[in-house]
Amino acid sequence: MQVKEFKVKWGMVVDLDKCTGCGACMVACQAENNIAPVTEGSNKLRTLTWMLVYELSNGKDFPEHDIAYLPRPCMQCGKPSCSTVCPVVATTKDEEGGIVSQIYPRCIGCRYCMAACPYHARYFNWFDPVWPEGMDKTLNISTSVRPRGVVEKCTFCHHRFAAAKEKARMEGRDPMHLEEEDYIPACVEVCPTGAIVFGDLNNPEHKVAKLAKSRYAFRLLERLGTEPQVYYMSKREWVRRQGDNYLENEKTKGE
Amino acid sequence: MGLDRRGFITFLVGGAAGTLFTPVPWKLLDDVSIWSQNWPWIPKLKYGAKGVTPTTCKLCPAGCGLDINTVGKRPVTAEGNFSHPLSQGGICPLGAAAVQLLYSPARVKGPLKNNGGKFESISWDEAKKILAEKLSTQKGSGNVALISGDENGTANEVLAAFLAALGSSDYYFMPSDATAYATTWNKMMGGQGQVGFDLENSDYVLMLGADLLSSWGTVVRNQKAFGQKKGQYIYVGPVQTGSASVADKWVPVLPGKESVFALGLAYYILKAGKTCSAKGFADFKEYILTNYTPSKVQALTGVPANDIKKVAAELIAARRPVIVSGSDFGQGSGSLDTVAGIFLNLLLGRLNQPGGLVALPSVQAVDKAPDLNQLRQNSLINFISDVQKGAKRPDVLFIYEANPLYALPQASQVASVLDKIPFKVSFSTFLDETAAKADLILPTPHFLERLDDAYTPFGAGAVTYSVSTPVIKPVFDAKPTPDFILELAEALGVDLGISSFEDVLNAKAGKLGADWEELQGGQAYVGDKKVFQSTLSLPTQTLSGGLKMASTEYPIYLAPQAKPYIGNTKLATPPFGVVTIRENELKGRDFYVHLNKATAKKLGLKQDKKVKLVSAAGQCKALVNITETVMNDVVAAPLGFGHTAWDDFSKGKGDNVFNVLTVTQEKTTGLYVWNNSQVKVVKA
Repeated sequence: MQVKEFKVKWGMVVDLDKCTGCGACMVACQAENNIAPVTEGSNKLRTLTWMLVYELSNGKDFPEHDIAYLPRPCMQCGKPSCSTVCPVVATTKDEEGGIVSQIYPRCIGCRYCMAACPYHARYFNWFDPVWPEGMDKTLNISTSVRPRGVVEKCTFCHHRFAAAKEKARMEGRDPMHLEEEDYIPACVEVCPTGAIVFGDLNNPEHKVAKLAKSRYAFRLLERLGTEPQVYYMSKREWVRRQGDNYLENEKTKGE
Repeated sequence: MGLDRRGFITFLVGGAAGTLFTPVPWKLLDDVSIWSQNWPWIPKLKYGAKGVTPTTCKLCPAGCGLDINTVGKRPVTAEGNFSHPLSQGGICPLGAAAVQLLYSPARVKGPLKNNGGKFESISWDEAKKILAEKLSTQKGSGNVALISGDENGTANEVLAAFLAALGSSDYYFMPSDATAYATTWNKMMGGQGQVGFDLENSDYVLMLGADLLSSWGTVVRNQKAFGQKKGQYIYVGPVQTGSASVADKWVPVLPGKESVFALGLAYYILKAGKTCSAKGFADFKEYILTNYTPSKVQALTGVPANDIKKVAAELIAARRPVIVSGSDFGQGSGSLDTVAGIFLNLLLGRLNQPGGLVALPSVQAVDKAPDLNQLRQNSLINFISDVQKGAKRPDVLFIYEANPLYALPQASQVASVLDKIPFKVSFSTFLDETAAKADLILPTPHFLERLDDAYTPFGAGAVTYSVSTPVIKPVFDAKPTPDFILELAEALGVDLGISSFEDVLNAKAGKLGADWEELQGGQAYVGDKKVFQSTLSLPTQTLSGGLKMASTEYPIYLAPQAKPYIGNTKLATPPFGVVTIRENELKGRDFYVHLNKATAKKLGLKQDKKVKLVSAAGQCKALVNITETVMNDVVAAPLGFGHTAWDDFSKGKGDNVFNVLTVTQEKTTGLYVWNNSQVKVVKA
């Protein structure tokens, strides 16, 4: 498959040594992206969580046990598995910025992309979205509401990207050279410990460009070759080791 | 020339092929896909001009500054206010869900009167009339009491002034570590002002129980300070909480035994020659050196003496250490829990130092109101036990922004005690457990609909004052409680010396030297004043508390966990909080309690098995989750489940752990404690 290279590549670096698993990113994401609240949330096969915080364990017994939390948005892969299998071109990676799009009206709900995504980052609307009476007045006007039968996923708050570019154009700046603070997804903005850092991976002035090259940085299932634009970092070896399938005697990345 | 068959087919095929070169089929296909997703029951976006209105969150005591994004003047989403010192752009999961709570199905839509178990809608005037009648007979007799769940709002001054005018001093705050510190620091130790912690400038933060980075104190600001980390963070407590998961070190200590660990540290620090000038130091030191020897502390806490010695050495070596002690779940601390932490800070010379424990001044705007710091020392548990014993029998109980029927220890018993009070008035935004049992519900607006404030939330490292400005007119027929109380006072002919609540806040701003306009514009006032302490004394009588023997009848320690995304003491799980609850926390209608492998084996329990937690106070049902995040002989249980009122987002999910929390009274101080509850875990 031919891979498009972009001048601007928006990416995230999540410092797992700072995430306390508070869940603020998940809530902010739902509100920002008009995901309808559900009364039954314990069956995770039916919930929509574009941003999901996983709990990681080092697998050891108390008192050697350690715990970490891993927020998982869409990885915005450089070589997405989802877009190649979509029969109706409803999900593509073709826009400058490198965000994998999701075009709801085109989606026919076949869910091939969900099967293809190795990160479980895609969600299917099993039900029509229902807001309690009056709560639809709090819908964000920047994001459309999806009906039953379509697949959706994190878009790095793409509407914020569009707005940032527009603002830059209005101010006579180059929309292809946004500053870090011009465009920040909702989850990044609210994170109380600053565990999530966002920016252009190709722009050396952005923090992410440097952080992604850190010795402690890694990506999930890196060796699948999907080239995710979401990086994680942790000084804890056991956390990094869970990022990929390592052979028993193999060295963890960063060691 | 006629159209023959051949010509007809050519025309059809040609036409069909031709249309493919026009945009028609593609446009149609596009339209079909849009139409087929565009049903009348899918909500439409309601467009309008975008804007931002800053305000202050009142969903918990942390007092975060929020930026509310609006569309056509309707609030839409909430974000942290970057210029506010307590949020700095960050937000907690409750704050992030604040806007949607405006339309929570659990909201009380107008004043309601309980008519034999059924609520009837009444008008505000009727409500005023009913209360004026009830209270006019009360006047001067002191037979009215109030429970407040607002820890730091000036509304308390208005309410307390009203109660004082009626001759009552029965003003109680919901118990928290703020009230625990007010009791030990202000009452027992003779400290002045409110205790806070300057985390930002500390290079060694020792969290003793207090889950600073998940739920304790000014949580978002704590997390921000951690994020810009300048030093080490150590967590001491029974469970690997959010704080422990990111801390540099986790020291597992049994619930309520963090203070013993602290005294173990004090032993080494005293041995290193550190001293402090507080009254009673010699006795205090003597008691610690004889009764909290390393071997004894090791036996009581399970922490090897060498590890304690190491932490003590780190504390001594650190340039600006601070010790934050409190209850893992923010309430129920014994006197020693806070005293031991304060003592360590004093011993290391950290009082009113940069990066240390600070004492912050309080400011009051209502002259006729009693000192709020004094009121924080009133024990609600004491009041409830007095009501139970018949020593106190108020005729009317006001409950403001609090849910005591759900969120007090031994909650199931609290309901029957409060039943003895003939007339209860709930000033709640939501139909919570307490409102559901009240005789009158007079809804106070959601904080986005009202004028309110937060003065130096507990734990803050500096004086901080910010105001909640109404972002939207009340969506339902709610009235700000201070306004209603002022109307009621007027109807009763009681003069509180207050013209309006806004004037009170304005006066407060004036006393602080803050600009009222700026405050309303979302800017917080930050002051650098600290309170000098002239005479502090060390209450030696608290020290025996740590040596108490464990109950053998209830062999397992209960470690309740406060998790804001599940809810807090006054708020049930918000609609947007539901999906953040993890698979190992809730399964259908059952919630999980957490034990490690060793404890489970000892009790013969397996993953997902149904169990009951039984204590001397009550019981609750749960499923077992085996996780190594919990230390031996401890069961960790999240608070916030088991609601019986509210709405479908929280009602009937799991069980209420508050029912199991057991209150004991300290012999030497008379203080009520419930952060060291013990239980039996039995198969259900």
